[in-house]
Amino acid sequence: MATNPTQYAHPEALVETDWLEKHLKDEGIRIIESNEDVLLYDTGHIPGAVHIDWRADLQDPVIRDYITPEKFAELCSKNGITPDTTCIFYGDKANWWACYALWAFRLFGHEKVKILNGGRDKWKAEERPMTKERSSYPRANYPVPRKRFDKEIRAFADEALAQSKAKQPLIDVRSPGEYKGEITHMPEYPQEGVLRGGHIPGAKSMPWKTATNEDNTFKSAPDLAKIYFDQCGVKPGTDTVVYCRIGERSSHTWFVLTYLLGLDNVRNYDGSWTEWGNKVGAPIEKGA
Amino acid sequence: MYPTKLNKIIRLFETLPEDERRETIVSYAENAKKQEPRKNEQFDLVDVRKDEECMDTVGVYLHVDENGKAHIRMTLGPEVQTLTRAMAAILCKGLEGCTPQQILDLPSDFVTRIVGAELVRIRSQTIYYVLTRIKGICKVYLDRQRMAKVA
Repeated sequence: MATNPTQYAHPEALVETDWLEKHLKDEGIRIIESNEDVLLYDTGHIPGAVHIDWRADLQDPVIRDYITPEKFAELCSKNGITPDTTCIFYGDKANWWACYALWAFRLFGHEKVKILNGGRDKWKAEERPMTKERSSYPRANYPVPRKRFDKEIRAFADEALAQSKAKQPLIDVRSPGEYKGEITHMPEYPQEGVLRGGHIPGAKSMPWKTATNEDNTFKSAPDLAKIYFDQCGVKPGTDTVVYCRIGERSSHTWFVLTYLLGLDNVRNYDGSWTEWGNKVGAPIEKGA
Repeated sequence: MYPTKLNKIIRLFETLPEDERRETIVSYAENAKKQEPRKNEQFDLVDVRKDEECMDTVGVYLHVDENGKAHIRMTLGPEVQTLTRAMAAILCKGLEGCTPQQILDLPSDFVTRIVGAELVRIRSQTIYYVLTRIKGICKVYLDRQRMAKVA
């Protein structure tokens, strides 16, 4: 589907804006917008796109966890999505939240997922069509997923600790200031209740945005390989864990490593720093 | 309890079903530019800054007229989120003609009545930012007035 394939391991995981504009009405695809700005979809979106909010739709309202498989099935069914539907995610902030939503869909085993390269900002900058009309589709019948793929693509605190102790690749994708422990939240965002600053011992710092170009598209495969293989010590066949503050920025890096560089053993530690930095006795390193 | 103009806005939002509430919030956000300073307007205080609670620069401009009534204008950087834009437009309109002291004394519970429980639940950190900034500039204005009187 990508009209500009670049040597990515899975170029089919990306669609370009030009391709999408020509295929807006294709059967079997669902365009999904997922943003940080909760009302951005309401201000205008790609025609036919549905809105899925990372907080309201994908997270449990009480417990810090994702929705149940039953609720995931309901979310998909009401948006006319079946397991055969190709879900094309896009959003603000260089697809940061779109990657988070995609990762959550993978958590429930939905396999047909893609990202719109460049996201909402590129689509808008190219003056492609936008609408305020809310999209609705005939209800589908999405079967309740039998399991959640936590073991495969998600890491928990004890697994992140094991990764640290084993000196296996661990990538901290937050800003340098957060990594060094100078600040406990990302620049320009409010403090979200983290008691300690720093990083998990042994983690390499590689801010998530390093993987994108100026226009929010992903960097080429050779450039990404240099960043992650050469600078972060990631290699095929070795387990890698990525983390950030709540697992959103690291979903972007997870997508890059999994789909663009083709690693099949990357897990996102979504508890991330808001769990680690508050956890009694969790080892912390400070400084660069 | 609330200034008349603000009270009208609160009552309007409270009557709206969720879908229309969101549409109205977006509509306010889209009209936020109308609250920018106009040509030749003079201000007693200007507070333009970018702080960590917000994605981009937000400017608050305060003019207090000869009757002691406050007139507020705001500028919003392009990255400022929709909800913040909407609150800027709502508050500039709703607080027009209040005194700085009235603004400072305003309880903040009305914000949730405008925004609605669902948006508060999922984005609680952003909804009070504009009110805090407006109260901030009013406080500085009143403090300076008091200091001038003492001097």
